[in-house]
Amino acid sequence: MTTKTTIEYNDRVVRQFMLASLIFGVVAMLVGVLIASQLNFHQLNLAEWLSFGRLRPLHTNAAIFAFVGNMMFAGVYYSTQRLCKCRMGSDLLSNIHFWGWQLIIAAAAITLPLGYSRGQEYAELIWPINIAVALIWVVFSINFFMTLHKRNEPSIYVALWFYISTIVTVAMLYIVNHLSLPTSLTHSYSFFGGVQNALVQWWYGHNAVAFFLTTPILGIMYYFLPKAAERPVYSYRLSIVHFWSLVFLYIWAGPHHLLHTALPKWLQLLGMFFSLMLWAPSWGGMLNGLLTLRGAWDKLRTDPVVKFFIAAVTFYGMSTFEGPLLSIRAVNSLSHYSDWTIGHVHSGALGWNGFMAAGMFYWLAPRLWKTKLHSISAANFHFWIGTFGILLYVVAMWISGVMQGLMLSATTADGSGLQYTFLDTLQSIRPLMALRIIGGAMYLVGFIVMCWNLFMTIRAGTPYNETREVDVIERGAKDNMGWKDTFINDPVAYTFGALILIGGWLFLPKGSDVVSLVCAVIFTGLAIRKFNQSSQKWSFWYEKLLHNYLPFTILTFVAVVIGGLIQIIPTMTVNTAKNVEDRVQKLYTPLELAGRDIYVSEGCYNCHSQMIRTLVPDVMRYGPAPEQGYSRLGESIYDHPFQWGSKRTGPDLAREGGVRNNLWHYQHMMDPRSMSPGSNMPPYKHLAEKEFDQKALPGKIAVLAKLGVPYPAMEATAIKLSALEQGQKIATDLKNSGVQLEPNTELVAVIAYLQKLGQYEQPKVEEDMTKKKLGIPFPIKPGIPDNFRSAQVKP
Amino acid sequence: MDSSHTPSSSSEPQLREHVYDGIQEYDQKLPNWWLFTLYITIVWFVVAWLAYYQFGIGTSDEARMDSFIAEQQAAREKQMGGVTDAQLWEMSRDPKMVEAGKATFMTPGMCVTCHAPDLSGTLGGAKLPGLPLNDQEWKHGGTPLEMLTIIRKGAPDVTKGMIAWEPVLGVKRVTEVAAFILSHHKEGEPVKLAADSPKLGGAAAPAPAPGTAPAPAPAPAPAAPQAK
Repeated sequence: MTTKTTIEYNDRVVRQFMLASLIFGVVAMLVGVLIASQLNFHQLNLAEWLSFGRLRPLHTNAAIFAFVGNMMFAGVYYSTQRLCKCRMGSDLLSNIHFWGWQLIIAAAAITLPLGYSRGQEYAELIWPINIAVALIWVVFSINFFMTLHKRNEPSIYVALWFYISTIVTVAMLYIVNHLSLPTSLTHSYSFFGGVQNALVQWWYGHNAVAFFLTTPILGIMYYFLPKAAERPVYSYRLSIVHFWSLVFLYIWAGPHHLLHTALPKWLQLLGMFFSLMLWAPSWGGMLNGLLTLRGAWDKLRTDPVVKFFIAAVTFYGMSTFEGPLLSIRAVNSLSHYSDWTIGHVHSGALGWNGFMAAGMFYWLAPRLWKTKLHSISAANFHFWIGTFGILLYVVAMWISGVMQGLMLSATTADGSGLQYTFLDTLQSIRPLMALRIIGGAMYLVGFIVMCWNLFMTIRAGTPYNETREVDVIERGAKDNMGWKDTFINDPVAYTFGALILIGGWLFLPKGSDVVSLVCAVIFTGLAIRKFNQSSQKWSFWYEKLLHNYLPFTILTFVAVVIGGLIQIIPTMTVNTAKNVEDRVQKLYTPLELAGRDIYVSEGCYNCHSQMIRTLVPDVMRYGPAPEQGYSRLGESIYDHPFQWGSKRTGPDLAREGGVRNNLWHYQHMMDPRSMSPGSNMPPYKHLAEKEFDQKALPGKIAVLAKLGVPYPAMEATAIKLSALEQGQKIATDLKNSGVQLEPNTELVAVIAYLQKLGQYEQPKVEEDMTKKKLGIPFPIKPGIPDNFRSAQVKP
Repeated sequence: MDSSHTPSSSSEPQLREHVYDGIQEYDQKLPNWWLFTLYITIVWFVVAWLAYYQFGIGTSDEARMDSFIAEQQAAREKQMGGVTDAQLWEMSRDPKMVEAGKATFMTPGMCVTCHAPDLSGTLGGAKLPGLPLNDQEWKHGGTPLEMLTIIRKGAPDVTKGMIAWEPVLGVKRVTEVAAFILSHHKEGEPVKLAADSPKLGGAAAPAPAPGTAPAPAPAPAPAAPQAK
């Protein structure tokens, strides 16, 4: 006998998250339009805290964590309660989650413009805020899983699969990538340096896109799209196949952000091939969205909600096709570091995330305030201006990216020199950057119209919490699967068997690896045969799994953890001293280190890379001497954080040291256009007035030494003295050229750093090789040297 | 909601029984083209990985880069190897070359930025980062070839001098720039070495650190040695 009970959903927290998302959406996009304008009009760098380098992290963090973050929480809280037929686990936790998240956003909005930064993209927030984010995420997880635990709906719907994968994966990524050792309350150095930092950062960075901007939004799509279309979801089995392939494959794709860099080639290839394999799973989500509308296409004309959802899903399809394309090494050599990538992320962020948010908000507002949408024509206007805005933006960025990429690679007729200077290429993309401002502004106007429309809707209604009568399900009807049931069965056994054999192919020594591959192929054949024989049994097992949230969560975690482990562990355990490719960077002196921290805090990495790729135009342009070639692993091995960058709005600085004299740098920092006419770099006059932090230096050096940077033991006073002496030298040199600059200023420190960039020496082989360090050389296949990027010191 | 969902034949999509908050699911077969896309990308991974790592097909990035740079260097040296002082003076009297060199020199962000439009190294009385090129005092040697070498390969201690322009401008344009500068001078005029010239110090001049550009040879060197 079933008992019935009446429940009231916690829709208050949904309303709160929704309003927060609207407000921060406007903020994120306003900052976006401002920084896009700064690229064309350097005069808009109005103050040091309003300069591009500091505002760009604010823009990305606000768009990801404040706008999409709050939108995602609104969608998750609304749909989870209904899919579980129960109120959220705890009102207290819901409240802590909401207010905690807004406090984090406020803290970010203050610290980023002030220049407090960890110097890694989308991971800029300083360590105390990192801890807060992790804690609030734990609060969210507990609240979510409490809801699952007490659910009155035995089976877990596909939207919840995606929420589960989001929660466990974001926690893993965020914690690992933010591991750092504090030097003060506001500053820390990442645990990882150089190539290790690069790999972990882009494992995180790429999967922030995957598991913060994609999987939760797919979950939202699976709930709100069929609701709005009033049609059944297209295919349950497509949901299964695309969910599991998506979460398993996505995590491997991070290295596609590091193609042609000093990252070992086997990782680059994994990144590329897994990105290509991701194409179909991503399109599985698109298909399930688009085809759900079959039989209801007329709604596309009448219902703005459906219109936004379908456009969003289409943009999702477009960017998940473009993603694999951009990860092909040959395409990437043109597109990477250019505006093409910027266009790509915005077709995802504005098209997919922004339009899913809009569709969801238009659907939610009338229900949460029990009224009707104020104006359908305003929503339609939002749709069209938004769509044209995105298209203008994306097309402008495509042209800009391809054009700048081609210009940067163009050589003179005899091939001995480069056709264009970097500044030439900048001037030629200016009109396109202007179009981008217009496209972005159009999108923002549409978004503001939505805010107005929703505000009018809300004013007409009253907050409404839905109540519903539900059947209470008995214990035993759900969550009754044991460990054995979860892990010992055909589907799991065959999947893992095949995965282990493929792992053997990648990592076993020569000879046995091919055997392992052959076994994997045979084993896959057996698995397919078994599946065909007993597909009923397999699908019955899966339906049973859906009645058990914890086993489901554990299997999801296993699926997302594998790729990361296989890529990261070998890179971490490697003996860095043996893997510097014949070059090791000279340690930063105290003054240079102070300068580097200022470089990081000003966000210079947002526009300047420090990585000469294994590409001819890169070596010719940034060598500076061609025989120095591309950047080797060792040249950044002690960099905490690494600064390889992801976009070249300005030229690469990997070997900037010594290319120009101090006076040039001084003039250029004070007024970039005096030395580089037409440059769009903000001026950095304020660095000439501030003193660099001498007191922090001994602590910073001690922390770096702990992290494995081989600093010799130095007295605190000696450190400070060395910094001042080196500063004095630069000041004297400048004085000889008629410029007065105090030796203890930040500008002197930055010049010292810039002059050090790219200085390296031969590694002292005997000394470093005898160090007792766990480690095997790259690649992790000891039998087969990676002749495509041999990373080893020649003894 | 669609109520006629009972599967009458196997071609009809099956509607699953379970309803989640009013949402139902069909159980359509996976589209074949979609499955093939997935399979092809997986097979491509396996085949390409085998090709790279088992059969050694394809060149390594390193080898590709090293050979290209070596070839390029060799080509440059071949083009520039035979240039003599006399030829350079000759070029400096060729108005077409001088005009072309001037165009490069005066391009914003290039030579003019540090050496000033009048080659004086000063602008409005303030010193610019570059040295004057219109007097007879030279830091790195004042013969046409020495001048050309500095433009091509940069100063020996780059922190105090200038960058190597040849990889950026190419051989043609560096020669033109040299011709333009020489057009401000006369063949046979006195050449004085500056007091801080590394050439005066001889052995005392700091040896370039490994990794920084090799010191420019007084005369164009044969193909530059490879890093390895």
